[in-house]
Amino acid sequence: MAKIAYYPGNVARAGASEVEDCIQPLCRALNIQLVEIPRSSSDGGNVIKQATPKLQDALVARNLALAEEKGLDIMTTCATSHAIMCNTAEDMKRDPVYAATINNLVERTSKIEYMGETKSWHLLHYLVEEIGLDAVRKAVKNPLKMKIASYYGPDMQRQGACAGDDPFMPTYMEQLIEALGGTPVEYDSKCQSVGSTSMLTLEDSSLSMTAAVLSDALESGAELVVSACTISHINLDSYQSKAGRVTGKSTSVPVCHLSEVVAFALGFYPDRLAQLRTRVRLIGS
Amino acid sequence: MAIVAKVWIDEDCITCDACEDICPEVFKVTDETSQILAAVRTDGAFDRNEGGSPLVGTLGAELGDIILEAAEACPVEVIKFELVSDGAEVATVEAEAPAAEAAVAPAAAVAPAAGVSDALASVFAGDRSINILFGSQTGNAAGLAEKTAKMAENYGLTPNIVDMDGLDPARLASMKRVMIITSTWGEGEMPDNADEMWKAINANGPGLSATHYSVCAIGDTSYDEYCKAGHDWNDKLSALGGHQAHPIQECDVDFEPAWRIWVEEALPRLACVDESGTLQLEILEEMKAYGAGDDEDLVEGDFSPGTIQREELTITLEIFRYAPEAAESGWDTLTCNVPGHATIQDLLLTMQRDVDGSLAFRRGNGAGTPTTGVRVNGRIVLADATMVGDVMATSGRVRIEPLPGHPVVRDLIVDTSRYESHRSRAEPWMRTDPREGERLPSGMAMGTLDAASATALHQAGDVQSFQLIQAMSDALAHDSHYEGPGVHFQQWLRVLDPRTSEQQRRSIMSSLQEKDGIWSEADHASLMRYGEDGRLAARGLNEARSALLNQNRYAGKSGRLVKWYGRSVKWSGNVNETTLYRQVLGPLGLVSNVFSGVSARMALAFTRNGSPPIRSLQSLLLPPAGLGRIPKMFNSKVDNYHEVVSLFNEIDQRF
Repeated sequence: MAKIAYYPGNVARAGASEVEDCIQPLCRALNIQLVEIPRSSSDGGNVIKQATPKLQDALVARNLALAEEKGLDIMTTCATSHAIMCNTAEDMKRDPVYAATINNLVERTSKIEYMGETKSWHLLHYLVEEIGLDAVRKAVKNPLKMKIASYYGPDMQRQGACAGDDPFMPTYMEQLIEALGGTPVEYDSKCQSVGSTSMLTLEDSSLSMTAAVLSDALESGAELVVSACTISHINLDSYQSKAGRVTGKSTSVPVCHLSEVVAFALGFYPDRLAQLRTRVRLIGS
Repeated sequence: MAIVAKVWIDEDCITCDACEDICPEVFKVTDETSQILAAVRTDGAFDRNEGGSPLVGTLGAELGDIILEAAEACPVEVIKFELVSDGAEVATVEAEAPAAEAAVAPAAAVAPAAGVSDALASVFAGDRSINILFGSQTGNAAGLAEKTAKMAENYGLTPNIVDMDGLDPARLASMKRVMIITSTWGEGEMPDNADEMWKAINANGPGLSATHYSVCAIGDTSYDEYCKAGHDWNDKLSALGGHQAHPIQECDVDFEPAWRIWVEEALPRLACVDESGTLQLEILEEMKAYGAGDDEDLVEGDFSPGTIQREELTITLEIFRYAPEAAESGWDTLTCNVPGHATIQDLLLTMQRDVDGSLAFRRGNGAGTPTTGVRVNGRIVLADATMVGDVMATSGRVRIEPLPGHPVVRDLIVDTSRYESHRSRAEPWMRTDPREGERLPSGMAMGTLDAASATALHQAGDVQSFQLIQAMSDALAHDSHYEGPGVHFQQWLRVLDPRTSEQQRRSIMSSLQEKDGIWSEADHASLMRYGEDGRLAARGLNEARSALLNQNRYAGKSGRLVKWYGRSVKWSGNVNETTLYRQVLGPLGLVSNVFSGVSARMALAFTRNGSPPIRSLQSLLLPPAGLGRIPKMFNSKVDNYHEVVSLFNEIDQRF
């Protein structure tokens, strides 16, 4: 059984509890043992970094060190959280003096240090590279049978954070959707930002960016959008109708988290999958 | 990588904690002085290690660079160390005169490799020491001395790196081969560590008739007294009867290329100085070949370099086309074979010549012209500096589009006038305070810039094209007033420039804080993805935001978001979304969200899938199909929450 530390990110155990509902059973079904890190904290969400990069890096290094203490890599369902962990690990590897400074702070406060052994995985990359699409395909009980557009966002689509996938023309999520019995839909905006960290401060731009992604997916024939980022999901979902109204674009499409569609396809929450199918039929594309 | 044999602390430590912060594995600062930890010393004592007990095991190699970093950071320069070169030869960084004497002791003869001529073999007999003296203020000259020492071994020399600090000038007389690497400080002054020796040699200089030498002078052309310290040494050694083996080399801010030219000439010449102190120039070419490691048997023949051919690629080329007169756009697609080493510009030129002469794009000179930006398979690149094979998809697809963030004029040509007009308004060019220093062509004084600041400034803004940085933003296309990251990054670099006037600095900071300023970028992640250039820009812009937050005390929505995000994490270890919405949007914003339907979608989870039991029952109904969860009003605290609070308190107590 594969064993990995689990980092829920900033919202999976708050506003996006549906992620938490799904990640646990889907991992059990794929023989992945998730190990909790009860001492782990928020990673600063690239917001604290704007005031003090060192503070955000120290928070992240502490989380990585907690997983490292258990001898495990760490997995998250959020592209932003994954990218933040990759950034900190990369910055510390690049600059040993900076790493020593951060570790000194973490050691003084938490009696642990991050030695660079533990690496971060996004659920998507872990499923494709470590578990394998064949194993996923075999475990499918309810094929998705929908036209699905994948939303990656920009955070993890860069060298060093997207595993073996192409940073600019990724295909991992499309391959996974195919393995889950869905039909992937290609569209240009799948790595474009929806301004998730700025929705509260820069609403007009964020709404316009959100509408651009959703309308592009819809025009390409998507019936459902699946997001690899739990934070971006708030823009794509909660702000969806407002984005459509403000920009005059068509944005009405159901949006799910990646962990949700994987769990549904593996046979969990058949009632929710039925509900989702109903919504797809009612909303249409 | 530096390998440190031993490290000790001189008197007069001011207990500033800098060494312990940088290298807590070795240094521990007590109430009186910094000390070397017992665990890293062979004698197991805990004191200043005045006795010079060596470091245990491989610690000197593992922590060598960090120990040097700590020594450089020490404001009173009391951290002294001794280096090991390649684990065998000892190269001593001198701190005091007695140690300097040990460093210049004659080195044993070196056995040359087999196959050298008798003349070369005779030069290798006897003392082969070479003394590399450095005068360094910021560590650049010391770093070059280390590199020079490593290269010296290739010529059968035994290098001693000698800190000028505390070196008795009389010792120079016994040195056959001397290299001096020195920077110039302030207005033509000696670096601090060379000042004392300079005064001493002027007061009582020894005769140097048996000494061959060469000098490498580091300086900054923006100073009047460019490389003066180096010239002073060169003239002084000559006046004392020394023999110049190779002329002095001046090095500007980007000192490394010039140093390399110097060291590759000066070292073999000094290596040709034999035991009797005579320069044997007739073996110079053989010595150079020996040092370069190409002393293999010579074979005659045609050795002109061959042409490197990459395998031919079969690609499906898709080029965006736009005809403004008809307001029509579309894609030209064709499959073709191209040489693997062809650039994107080569492809476009061939298309234009052989397929469609009306194809429009900007041409460059083949060396990364900043205006040749296009998007290829999602990547933002310079067409004349990017090879097809490096960006081609595994399927063979090569999709070429205009640079995003700018209106398209025709085909791949974009209109950059908006960028230029924003840049023109932002005025990121230099405006200096009237003070001593170099002058601009306009006659305005531009102040001065030391080598370390100049290097840091170059590194901070070392990007291929600011237009490319502008195009990396995903937000730019959605806000016609936003000035863009390419413009703001240039402004921030100007703020970092020490020559910039205070008035300009204030004006730029104020402009960055304005409505269409730096907070209009919705997501730095969109920049971060574009390689090293994007990373540099994102880092610079984040620094600018930090500076603005400090200066404006977290004013405005962006300031409130950062402040309350931090506080919310400090309160529990987790983010509290309720707090954020309430504090950032304020009562009016919350009401607006109620009327716009955002709150309803959050509360009722309009498109979410719910969870049992209540939410699933809603699936029987039409949308809204599930009763979602509003964010928590209060978070439970993470385990050992005090550790998170301690981190905040250690690093930033503003939250």
